[in-house]
Amino acid sequence: MLFGIKQKSCFDYLLKSKEWYIFKHMISEEEIRKIAKLSYLEIKDEEIDEIREKFSSILEYVKKLQELDVSDITETANLSKNENVFRGDIAKEKDVEDLLKALSRKKDNYMQVKKILYNED
Amino acid sequence: MKIDLTKLTIIEASKGLKNGDFTSVELTKAFLNKIKEKNEEVKAFITITEEMALKQAEKADKMIKIGEIYPLTGIPCAIKDNILIKNIKCTAGSKFLEDYIATYNATVIEKLEKMGVVFLGKTNLDEFAMGSSCENSAFFPTKNPRDLERVPGGSSGGSAAAVAADLCVYALGSDTGGSIRQPASFCGITGLKPTYGTVSRYGLIAYASSLDQIGPLTKNVDDAKIVFDAIKGSDPMDSTSINSDKENNLAKLKIGVPKEYFAKGLDGEVEKAIKEAIDIYKELGAEIIEISLPMSEYALACYYIIAPAEASANLARFDGLRYGKTIKDEEAEKIIDIYLKNRTEGFGKEVKKRIMLGTYTLSSGYYDAYYKRALKVRTLIRQDFEKAFEKVDAIIGPTSPCLPFKIGEKSDDPMSMYLADIYTVSVNLAGLPAISIPCGKSQSGLPIGMHLIGVPFQEEKLLSIASLFEKKYDNK
Repeated sequence: MLFGIKQKSCFDYLLKSKEWYIFKHMISEEEIRKIAKLSYLEIKDEEIDEIREKFSSILEYVKKLQELDVSDITETANLSKNENVFRGDIAKEKDVEDLLKALSRKKDNYMQVKKILYNED
Repeated sequence: MKIDLTKLTIIEASKGLKNGDFTSVELTKAFLNKIKEKNEEVKAFITITEEMALKQAEKADKMIKIGEIYPLTGIPCAIKDNILIKNIKCTAGSKFLEDYIATYNATVIEKLEKMGVVFLGKTNLDEFAMGSSCENSAFFPTKNPRDLERVPGGSSGGSAAAVAADLCVYALGSDTGGSIRQPASFCGITGLKPTYGTVSRYGLIAYASSLDQIGPLTKNVDDAKIVFDAIKGSDPMDSTSINSDKENNLAKLKIGVPKEYFAKGLDGEVEKAIKEAIDIYKELGAEIIEISLPMSEYALACYYIIAPAEASANLARFDGLRYGKTIKDEEAEKIIDIYLKNRTEGFGKEVKKRIMLGTYTLSSGYYDAYYKRALKVRTLIRQDFEKAFEKVDAIIGPTSPCLPFKIGEKSDDPMSMYLADIYTVSVNLAGLPAISIPCGKSQSGLPIGMHLIGVPFQEEKLLSIASLFEKKYDNK
């Protein structure tokens, strides 16, 4: 399996040549839980360690950007021309039936949802 | 001997249809049979749209009969399963959209339909296009037709595998950080990522909106041009879409070779193949100029802040109320239970990780240090290319630093998986057009792809430069 070894070494070099494979800072469980809440995701207790580890390794890697001095640089948030594109405010016929079919719950052609107002417990 | 219809390029198939050598229905049936025979093995398709394909083929045959022929009329293709075709299931490779039926056509689909194209089915992808191997599909991994133990690349792995295994004439994919070019390279075919904005994304399930672009995966460069011409153009439904240039002057061709692309870490066999490709350009009379793209080493880090940040916003729409995964009524009391349960059960691990990563880098206290800084680095990456293109017409390098890897080999190690995109992500950050074309094989017979990066909106020129090489290479 000479081939497999060679291929592996290609990546190993990239991985180990950088300092980021050592976790300098492990993100806390509390922080992970806070982000999960903001993201509307639930995390099981048994998943937390793996998530912390993988999350930390990526954060450690992206810290690489701190090496650069960007104090005078403007941001590129998108690449489109900085012009607004307008179109006429003209109603178009759409197949409402198809959209309704995709709804999880409906009543008289309205989307029905669960309780929106409640006390946070 | 009867010709194998599934081996034809677009140009060959179109000629056959025009000459009456075969009909679109015959061509379509040849592909449907091949899919039945081989898809079990390659697993390129999530959905096969046999009924629709045959209807479209009949319509195409009628068009051909009355002389209404476009370059793609009657030609069967495959579509990545994150591009909407009305009334057809569109999963984005996710459990969340397992049963979602598209309610409208993407603009690219609308354009192809008008030309009488045949859609054979929807191809597998990493969930929401997040991945480089097709192993992140919620349904099954696709296999590389050149070696079934290996990955086809990703995220448009199903599209690339379908083209490479002759299960369609061409396919559409989407490219956010290399998702068309890297699988094209791994499967030994051609993949074009057009300039940001040249192809409408209306009807593409969004991953990272400032990076996403739809493009073709084909058997050769001429075919890529035909498909690109068919799908390009500004669209009122995508405000970022604009028209491309006609610039195509190949006199005094200058090709740049970034010294940073040939650092240690690049697979030896890949490096050799790329250097041979550079020699071919020399023989063809191109001037080869060493250039520097000093920001290359920051591109991947920049990408892994920007793409997840945009993904966290784009995927916020998946709440399970209007479409997609729905938990049972009794499982939820409040609306937040619906969000939480649907998203937790519907999204796979990698998708959740990227949503959380994006949420983190956009959250208060971290926004400046991560997201804002990445946007500034993105400017530096753009400027790198702008400077390079003052001196050269195109930039050459490898598409991927490694050969197609084995299924399962990198699935536990996200960073090593991300490295497979090290050459391709900077192109998306800068919004440039780029193409991957086959340029050799490893000793064990695995495909190697060459990456050509072009000037924004000059796809025609980029395709001509790629074609120069391809014609010379094919004759060798």
